[in-house]
This record gives sequence, structure tokens and C-alpha cells, in this order.
Amino acid sequence: MLLMNYITCILLIVMGLYTIVMKKNLMKIVIGMGLLDYGINLLLISIGFKAGGTAPIFTIGELKSDSFFVDPVPQALTLTSIVIGACVTALALSLVVMINKHYGTLDTDEVRRLKG
Amino acid sequence: MTQHLPILAIISLFIGAFIVSLIKEKNTTLRNTVVLIVTFASLIFTLMMYKPIIEEGNVLTYWMGNWEPVQNWAIGIGLEVDQLSLFFGLFISLSIVLSAMYSFKYIENETGKDKYYVLFLMMSASVMGFIFTGDLFNMYVMIEIMTFASVALTAFRNNRPEAVEAGFKYIAIGSIGSSLILLATVILYAQFHTLNLAQLAGEMYNNYTVASIFALALMIVGYAVKVFAVPTHFVAPDAYMAAPSSISMLFSGIVNKAAVYGILRIIYVVYQSMNLPTMQFLLIFWGTVTMFVGVTMALAQHDFKRLLAFHSISQIGYVITGIGLTTALGITGGLYHALNHTLFKGLLFLCAGAVFYATGTTDLDKLGGLAKRMPQTAFIFLIGAFSISGIPPFNGFVSKWIIYQATYEAGYAPVTIVALLVSVMTLASFIKVAQSAFFGQLPKEFKNVEEVPLSMRVPMWIMAILCVIGGIVPNIVTKYLVTPAANAVMNASRYVEAMMGKEFASKFYNNLGSAPVIDYKLAGYWQPISWLILFGVLLLAFTLVAVLGGFNPKHFSYADEEDAKYDVFFSGESSEFSHVAGSDLFWGLKYQFRHYFDFMHNIHSGIVNDYALSVVFTAAVILLYVFTFVR
Repeated sequence: MLLMNYITCILLIVMGLYTIVMKKNLMKIVIGMGLLDYGINLLLISIGFKAGGTAPIFTIGELKSDSFFVDPVPQALTLTSIVIGACVTALALSLVVMINKHYGTLDTDEVRRLKG
Repeated sequence: MTQHLPILAIISLFIGAFIVSLIKEKNTTLRNTVVLIVTFASLIFTLMMYKPIIEEGNVLTYWMGNWEPVQNWAIGIGLEVDQLSLFFGLFISLSIVLSAMYSFKYIENETGKDKYYVLFLMMSASVMGFIFTGDLFNMYVMIEIMTFASVALTAFRNNRPEAVEAGFKYIAIGSIGSSLILLATVILYAQFHTLNLAQLAGEMYNNYTVASIFALALMIVGYAVKVFAVPTHFVAPDAYMAAPSSISMLFSGIVNKAAVYGILRIIYVVYQSMNLPTMQFLLIFWGTVTMFVGVTMALAQHDFKRLLAFHSISQIGYVITGIGLTTALGITGGLYHALNHTLFKGLLFLCAGAVFYATGTTDLDKLGGLAKRMPQTAFIFLIGAFSISGIPPFNGFVSKWIIYQATYEAGYAPVTIVALLVSVMTLASFIKVAQSAFFGQLPKEFKNVEEVPLSMRVPMWIMAILCVIGGIVPNIVTKYLVTPAANAVMNASRYVEAMMGKEFASKFYNNLGSAPVIDYKLAGYWQPISWLILFGVLLLAFTLVAVLGGFNPKHFSYADEEDAKYDVFFSGESSEFSHVAGSDLFWGLKYQFRHYFDFMHNIHSGIVNDYALSVVFTAAVILLYVFTFVR
């Protein structure tokens, strides 16, 4: 079950990198950046998982030495990472809109005024 | 009070960003005052840490929300400031103040100034947070905020197509770099179940696994993308060129330096793998390639700021080479050069900004003769140009000298030769800039340009004076700033001990708190004062000749034919005059090495896919290298 998660997240990361490198459309590059992010988020949430563990929400009194729960730290990290990823996507999309306004195209072969 | 200083230095800038966003466009004076107060506050808090950390040699630690470690297990986010962090913090907070002062007049006529200052303060705060934190995930968050703010500021002049294009390229490449750093963080957490740098360093001491080596490779590539080391440097010139000059200064002064700090912290403190000769070779090779490619590309540029950007890449190559050496002298040279690079490159970017402010262009083919109209800017530019070229008695000479000696001592003599060659080419390209922007004929349309306002000149003068001071009294600068930082790099056990306690640290390290002695026997075989006198005499002679009319430019009528300039000269002339444009001073060299330059030009294709491919390629090569040799 967990192995499935790891395979999926590696696939997502590779697909993300492939999209960024190979696709000539700026929108697709933004999608690739998203895929890369989701792959890492899935990896992050998977490493904190323990089969049979409960949600890590306790008050001080409830917490016993034999309580078995999943690792809460990766969940906090994943939330942070998702928020950052959403911000990056939003900024990248707004830049794509501006590029379309200036250049009238989204083709990477034509958006190359800065070179050399 | 002392223990709260690290968080105060960070949070004052974040609070400033929040307040500025509330003021908006309504009140310019109030907004500028707030920006000035918070940046100065951050500088003062950082300066106040000087006494406990560098003078008394303590390491400040601060647990956010007072979540202290339980049973040697870090559960909260910790800030930790040692000599290395403070060394970076001092010059970073200084350049933030100077850039803020410069910005007030420089972006006066732009729209969206409130957003500019919010992003400016966010970027500054995230860099301060990055260098003061002691937590791996916090480092990722801060570097991501930094990239985010940098991208938005790159695209600040979004009425210009180049700015938006550069912004998109920067975010696409920058986010791949951040993703690699995050992936490495995740892998390290999965392996060791902690994010605290000190605890990680302890757990990993002589206990490398396959996963941690994988993470090391990803981390190095991730930070190399942020530091713009060569195969991943393609977006740097675009971003530096498109951003306002006050921001370009921060890109080379603080954003780049934060990544250098990241590499130092990860490699020396967390991994302590630098005694491995293979890692040493990797960094030195990488740094040498970076400095060479950067400077040769700079020779071919026609835009002032794009040229400076390639020089920035080249100088970072020196820093990487220096810190890759692992000897005390090498690290001292690398750190000293990082400090100097912030000063002189910031200065040069501010000069480019002053030229842009006065004339509205940074194209070297259009500029000329500005020294007549802007004498102070021209003078300051020459100080910056001499510093970056490593001419005594300016600061660039000192740090480059230390790097030459350190590379030679460590047995990398070819690297020394390349470094010297790169220094010469740096001087050559700055002669080109000086000649085509500040000397020669003044074009008609710039007859009425004026010197920039005082509030823009003051930061430039401060940096220029610091450049000279750094070159005249290198022994004082090394003693009170660089050596403590180099000691902190060489002595990771003190970092672990301060954060996690003696009991935890003594489990891994046998000899706690012993600093290796730095050998300065070779450093400083030169007399800065006599060089200064020589420089003064030469300058006087030059001025005398110029005043007496020795250098009056003659007015030529150029022939149309251009081809003759590439011919081998035997006798006579096929055409009376060959037109060599001011910015094309080294046409002969460029022609002879045209295959190399054509190749480099084709590589800098401007297609974002190619740039992303080079990052992925670098990651693949480094992974292969690390897994083959570092075990």
C-alpha cells in the first residue's frame, strides 16, 4: 500500500520534470511545476504514515505512552508546502498572462527576447 | 535581551513589510520612514550580536515558543546564530539598508511603489531568516519566500516584455531548485526523523547512508541553482538585467550569498564531508568552470547590467572555489571574497542604476562620455571596477590573492592560473565598460544629463569607501570578521554543542570546542600603503595629462566597410578606417575565439525548456558523481 504511494510520487516527479523540459507551451510548464510539487507533497505525507495509527490529535491527559499515532510533523510540513506551491502557481500564472499580453503567444520558442 | 536578538533582526523586517502594505500609496514620507526604520533596526540588532558572538565567541540559540529539546530530541523550531551566520548577517543587513536608501529616489517615478517595498522587505527578511535559522525545513521555507519575492521584483517593471519574460524563467528554474531542496529535506527527515541542523549533524556524523548521500547530491544541486553556478546560471543575467538596479544589487549581494551560506552550512556543518578529496575536487572544478564561463560571456555583452550579471556569476566562481578548498586559508579567502563581492558588485549595480536614472538606457552602444556630466558616478564606478578586477589597493585584490595562494598551496596550480586569467579578463571587460559608458564622446542626446541626487550617491559612496577600507586594512578585517567565521566553518562540533547541549555533542565528537589554527604565514606578503601611494601618483599623472589635453578624442568619419578589421594586417590598409564600436573593444579576441563564443551564444538560447534541461542534467551528473566517488 505504501509502496504504491512511493511509486506514484516518483512517477509524478518524473512526469513534472518531463513536462517542464519537453513541453513548449508556457501553461503546460506551469502544470509541470505543479506536478513536481504534488509528487513531493505525496512523498512528504507518506513518510509520516504508520499503518493502523490514529490521527495525532490529543490533549495532555489523553496522551499515554502506548498511544499509537501517525507522525504529525510531515503533515504540518505538507500543509506549508501546499500553501507555497499554490502561491508559486498563482505567481507563475499571472506572469503567463502578462507574457501573453506582451508577446501574443505562449510558445517558448518565441518568448526568447533575452538570450546570448 | 541578548537571546532575543536573532528573532528581532528577522521579525522587524517582516513587521515592516506588514505595515508598509497597510500604508499603501497614500503617504510616501511615512512609508519611506517606516522602511528606513525597520531596515536600520534590523542592522542594529545584528550589530548588537557582534559582541556576544564574535568577541566573546558564544553561539546564540533561540527556541521559537520556548519548545526546548526533550531527551536530546529537538521538537521545536530553533534559531541558531554562530560566527558564520553573523558574518553573513552583518554585510547582508548593511546592504539592505543601503539598497533601501537608494530605492527612495531611484523608483520615485514608477507605479506600484507600495508593492515594491512590501516585496523588498519580504525578500530581505527571508534572507535574514535563512541565515539565522537552525532548522532544515525553515531553510526551505525561507529560500522559497526569497525566490518568490525575487521573481515578483524581477517582473516589477511589467510594462517591459523583458521583465515579465525574465520573471517567468526565474520562477520556472527557481522552483525546480527549491523542489530539489525540499526533496532532499524530505529524504533526510525520513531517514533521521529530525529537522534540526545540529541534531542532524550529530546523527549523521560518520553515519552516512545511501539516502543521506542522495539527499546531499540533491541539496548541492538545489543550492547551486540558487547560487547560479554555471550549468544552471542561464536565468541570472535575464533576472539581473530586468530587475531595478537596487534589486539587482540585492540579488548579487544577498540572494546569492544566502545560497553560498546554504552550501557552507550543509556541506561543512551538517555533512562534514568536506575532508573527502572527491567532494573538494567537485566544488573546485565547479567553481573554476563557473568563473571562466562567466567572464568570457561578460566579454561578449553589450548591455551594462547584463555584463555585470555575468561578472557576478564569475565572481561567485571564486567564492565556490575558495570554500571548496577545505583548508583554513581557502575558506578565509572564499568568505572574504563573498564579503567583497557584496560590496563591489553592489556598488557597480548602483552605478548602472545611476546611469539608467540619468539617461534612461543601459545599452553600452548608446552611452558614452558620461564622466563629463556625472563625475562622481564615474569616479565611484572606477573604484568598483578596480576592486572587482583585483587591482591593489582595493579589496578585491586581497581576497583574490588569498584564493590564489590557497589554491596553489593545496596543489591546484592550474586553478590558480585560470583564476589569474579570469581576473585579467575581468579587468579587460571593465576597461571596455569604462571606455564606452564614461569616456569617449558624449552623444548629443545626453548633453543635458545631470548627476544623480544625493540620496542615491550616499549609498554608493559608503560602499566605495568600504571597498577601499577592505583593501587597505585586510589584517583588521580578517581578524575581526573573517577568521571567526572561518573557524566556525571548520569547527562544526561547537554548533552542535550549543544547540543540543554538551551531553548530546560528546556522544559524537571527541574533542569538543577545539578550533584549528589558521596559518597566515603566506597571506599578506604585500604592502597596501605603498600600493596606495603608487596608485595616487599614477592617478595624479593621469589627471595631469588629461587636464593638459593629452586624451582629447579625435572625431573620425567612419567608413562603411567593417570587414577589414578582421583581416591580418600586412601593409597598407584595405579601407581607411574600420569602425570598432565602443562596446566592441575586444573584437579581435572575439573573432579569434568565434567558435567558442558562437557555441556559448547558442547555449544561452533563451528557451526556458533548455534552461530546465540543464538543471536536470546537472542534477543527474552530480548524482552520478556523488554515488560513484563519495562513499
